[in-house]
Amino acid sequence: MGFDNGCRRNCTPVDKGYVCVLLYWYTILIHAPLSALDLFHINTGSTEPIYRQLVELVRRLVASGQLRAGDEIPSVRELAQGLVVHPMTISKAYGLLEAEGLLERRRGLAMRVAAQHRRAQAPLDRAELLRPSLERAAQEARELELSAAQALALFNEILHAGEPKS
Amino acid sequence: MNSTTFSIAAEAGLPAGAAALAPEASVALSGLSLRYGGQAVLSGLDWVLQPGQVVGLLGRNGAGKTTLLECLLGLREPDAGEVRLFGRSVTQLDDELRARVGYVPQQSDLFEGFTAGQLLAYFRSFYPRWNEAKVEGLMSRWEVPRDRLISKLSGGQQQRLSIIRALAHEPDLLVLDEPVASLDPAGRRDFLRELVERVLDRGTTVVFSTHILSDLERVAFNVAFLKEGSIACQAPLEELLDQVRIAIGSPAELQALQAAHGAQLLRRQPLAPGREQWLLRFARGVPAVALLQPLNLEDLFMELS
Repeated sequence: MGFDNGCRRNCTPVDKGYVCVLLYWYTILIHAPLSALDLFHINTGSTEPIYRQLVELVRRLVASGQLRAGDEIPSVRELAQGLVVHPMTISKAYGLLEAEGLLERRRGLAMRVAAQHRRAQAPLDRAELLRPSLERAAQEARELELSAAQALALFNEILHAGEPKS
Repeated sequence: MNSTTFSIAAEAGLPAGAAALAPEASVALSGLSLRYGGQAVLSGLDWVLQPGQVVGLLGRNGAGKTTLLECLLGLREPDAGEVRLFGRSVTQLDDELRARVGYVPQQSDLFEGFTAGQLLAYFRSFYPRWNEAKVEGLMSRWEVPRDRLISKLSGGQQQRLSIIRALAHEPDLLVLDEPVASLDPAGRRDFLRELVERVLDRGTTVVFSTHILSDLERVAFNVAFLKEGSIACQAPLEELLDQVRIAIGSPAELQALQAAHGAQLLRRQPLAPGREQWLLRFARGVPAVALLQPLNLEDLFMELS
């Protein structure tokens, strides 16, 4: 717990040998929840409070499939230490995500992404979750110099193919 | 210019139920006034810090932050008003109570003729609760040389040493006056990490002044704005970001907006004839109105301090 941070800070191959480096990779490879830490980031100086940035980040991570049902997420303590943020801010974000059914708390165990959402989200909210993917797609479409009509036709085709986009 | 002040229940940052237990406030200042060279620095200031609260003290240069923190610690006597720490008057502070307080002053007050090791050994003798393992750990992680004269340490190293000294006896109240002013970004991050990993956990009440708003945003759950000699506003930062908005328009238009949503007017500034800028707080939720602009912490600082 928090081992990788301490290691990164304290050990260099010169003073402590390669053991720490190896252990660091070991922790990353073996313990999935720790690597999930790398998915989390925040911005200071934003008009959006940090707890809300985290709520929206987790929604996007789940929507984009980077976090999947059953995946464990870092504990409040781990994330507070990893992001260097007051633990109460993390608790608040997790609390809201739990209330909306995205995360589930298990006694004595790490929180995880809920197996299924108990409450169906309103259609408008659901559509909003698509926005980051569409913004990325729009960006790529512009880079490829596709016209709006071409991009929309392709999207239409994909939607009607009846297959979930991977 | 109308600037309306407001204050929030100090326990707003604590979990529900904590207030019901009515723990003794770590700090309670009431009616604090102090004049300095004929000028009022503090005027009837009231301020309460509950146990476990982490409060960032914000104010412009010369607003009196250092004076306020010195009064809070009993280092400076106010002209009027009372300071209570853990329920006891600061004028009757005994060694036992003093040992529960840690202070990092803005100006280093370390004995320059000592080495860092000698300084720590000296302070250790005053405190029944002194965590030598913590001191050892911080000294090596923060790379403060033990055997060099303090006068030969860099400004950053002196500041680190000052912080180590303040954390060593695991105080219940930690007062930091610009603790990171001479630290580089890596040093600041080390300090914040220590706060998050080992200080906040203990339920320590922390008050610190800083102009580095990004640091404050990470660790200060609450912010307090010192303006014109009193605390103009104290609230959880996330609540302010969620609820406070700027609106520009005609006074009539703005008044209608305020009334319709029961918003609190925090500040109003004329911009041009018939055109004003209002700072409004929507405690019941921000309405979806195009003319409302969100603020970040820097904007809040500009508006409220």
